Amino acid sequence: MNPAHPRTLPAELTIYTVAELHPQWQRWLADTGDNATATPQADDRCTLDAADVEQADAAGVQLLLSLSAALEAQGRGLHLHAPSAALLAACEALGLADWAARLQATEETA
Amino acid sequence: MKQPATDNDFINETLPIFISEAQEQIESFEQLLLQLEDAPQDRELLDALFRCAHTVKGSAGIFGLEAVVAFTHHVETLLDRLREGQVALTPELSTLLLQGNDEIRNLVNAAKDPGQDEDAVVAWNRDALVTRLQAASGSRPASAAAKADTPADTAEAASPTQRWQLNVRFGADTFRNGMDPGAILGYLRGLGTVSELQCASAAVPPLDRIDPESCHLHFTFALDTAASQGEIEAAFTFVRDDCELQITPPTRALDKQGAQRAAPATSKPAAADDNRYIRVHADRLDAVINLLGELVIAGAGAALMARQTKQRGLIEANLQMARLIEEIRNGTLQLRMVPIGETFSRFRRVVRDTASELGKDVALDITGGETEMDKSVVERIADPLMHLVRNALDHGLEPPAERIAAGKPAQGRLTLSARHESGVIAIHIEDDGRGIHRQKVLQRAWDRGLVERGVVPPDKDILNLIFEAGFSTAEKVTNLSGRGVGMDVVRRNIQALRGSVTLHSVEGQGSRIEIRLPLTLAIIDGFLIGVGNSRFIFPLDAVVEVIESRANTAAGEPDARGRSVVELRGQMLPVVNLRTLYALESAEPERHSVVVLQAGGCRFGVRVDQLLGQHQTVIKPLGHLFGSLRGMSGSSILGNGEVALIFDVNALGQLAADAPGRVAAATVPAVPAVTPVATKNQNHAVTAEGSRS
Repeated sequence: MNPAHPRTLPAELTIYTVAELHPQWQRWLADTGDNATATPQADDRCTLDAADVEQADAAGVQLLLSLSAALEAQGRGLHLHAPSAALLAACEALGLADWAARLQATEETA
Repeated sequence: MKQPATDNDFINETLPIFISEAQEQIESFEQLLLQLEDAPQDRELLDALFRCAHTVKGSAGIFGLEAVVAFTHHVETLLDRLREGQVALTPELSTLLLQGNDEIRNLVNAAKDPGQDEDAVVAWNRDALVTRLQAASGSRPASAAAKADTPADTAEAASPTQRWQLNVRFGADTFRNGMDPGAILGYLRGLGTVSELQCASAAVPPLDRIDPESCHLHFTFALDTAASQGEIEAAFTFVRDDCELQITPPTRALDKQGAQRAAPATSKPAAADDNRYIRVHADRLDAVINLLGELVIAGAGAALMARQTKQRGLIEANLQMARLIEEIRNGTLQLRMVPIGETFSRFRRVVRDTASELGKDVALDITGGETEMDKSVVERIADPLMHLVRNALDHGLEPPAERIAAGKPAQGRLTLSARHESGVIAIHIEDDGRGIHRQKVLQRAWDRGLVERGVVPPDKDILNLIFEAGFSTAEKVTNLSGRGVGMDVVRRNIQALRGSVTLHSVEGQGSRIEIRLPLTLAIIDGFLIGVGNSRFIFPLDAVVEVIESRANTAAGEPDARGRSVVELRGQMLPVVNLRTLYALESAEPERHSVVVLQAGGCRFGVRVDQLLGQHQTVIKPLGHLFGSLRGMSGSSILGNGEVALIFDVNALGQLAADAPGRVAAATVPAVPAVTPVATKNQNHAVTAEGSRS
């Protein structure tokens, strides 16, 4: 998968959708894992485009936390591209505003 | 938590669930309050009581039931004052809370019919109740109803803001229960200021191990608020059972009560796993039990055919199947069992209110509440029991002055007990009151023409006169009892359950009512016997032993009704000859046996031809045609398709014990010839071919 075309988070990132998203993300993780080792110059962070997220709740944010933990374990990081206001609000409500800010930061400031 | 716009269909489907759960909360409320009267400082009871009201209010809010929410809010406010120690639990306050709970019950029931207009008197009564609740809480009467989720509006001066430390680990099922930790934190923000909020993100499992629908979130934070600990805890009401919550009160005000409160807040709710229940529709359970009955019969048929093949392997396999079927049978019947204690507990309120109304002091003892009975039996015995309890309170127990004059303690004692006894449930209602005044009863019976004037029946029969229709010796007809419509209806209802009721009493000392009910209405262990070509079944629990008699060993000639006496280990045992009793035509065999049965405290024997062993008996009701048949309580289908009649052991015992001439011939109808009808799922046993008299 080409980091130039990052994965996009869906409009709804809630308890209603996490069961569906989980296997999709697991596959994506496996795919990008293979590609990352193949291309030496590949960005060592995986990017998620979060502009479309309209609804997010604790279950959705928890899944993001889980994804982030999995990527860290692989020696890579999660990058949130253009997180929407709704996603940021949900993170803040759960005391994860700093975490979200870190994930949002671009390569230069990481 | 933001709810999506509610759908009418959603409401229609789930409203009954709300109603049923709210009713449980309301019942629980009453029980807890009555317990609280004996232990007014018990913090756990106070919290549990508050939660009942809070849960009803919250759920009602989801359904938009404004009236319920508004009224319950006042009760909740008063409960909050109570648990904060700001008001004391006096008998008057307790009564007020009970009345408040009754009103909540009325409102919830009214919610079943949303279109119905309300009676003006009812509304006025409710407003009066609200005023009293507010007065007791010490708040100024508010003109508008309070909103559902604001903290209690109070007339007290605002308490100073304090800093609380909170540490909460939400349980795994939080999401599945429809809760969102974000929303709970949002609610807390409404109470004050949240700071230093940290989420233990490291506790969240990585993607390959996580169950996305389980909650793994753990937060610590500080809360600056003027709210009380109770109000803070209230934010977690709906996740209470599933999360670990630690609230550390502000350091400077760590008084003894605060420390006590911290303790229950930190304990993980115990037994959360033991109380896993599933809601099952009663009809589905009945359908399963029906099928199980058919399975038992089919199994018996298969076993019979297997025996005929004389193939060892097949016979063994069938035995194994029979064992398994019996285990399933026991397990399934267990599903329908509920402890009778729930019904008994309801009487606490009745006793409390009635006793105080009558100016009597009564202590209620309940034992054997854990005794389990079939659900439908419990439901149908509740009303008769209620009537008997009221009777005891009204007529049995004397007012304190009279008791003291009689040398008794001023407080009367009423005991409700239940226990298993050889295949039946025995329920006793016992009081230490006046007892039954034989002379009065007799006089009334003479007056009413129930007994020929001047005739004095034996004591047992005098007492039973009370169960006759239209009888009442009460000098005053109270609105509780005494109108004479009670006792006969009670007895009839109990008999409709195939039970029996007897009265024992000692004048001046008290009375005891004994009710016996069958354990289950569906399947029992039976003992199959044969007389000639007919087959009968005794409930195995009633069978004490079997005596193999040699021909003509009976001591004493049988009388015209086939009754005789046999000596058994030095004691006389009355014996009934079924052949004679039911005029069964067949030759008397050389050998016979006597099955010794136990019923209601007396033993008697029944003379039979063949002993056919144990038999899992699926009870099929007798058809309407046999409604007046005494002595039989049902029928059952044997493995070979034949029908066996099941004896009502009590009735048979009465026949054995009764003096000749008392029982009219009409009450012992001959057993009609029965023909098995070869249909599969028959509900009625047979059609009669003809009866012999």
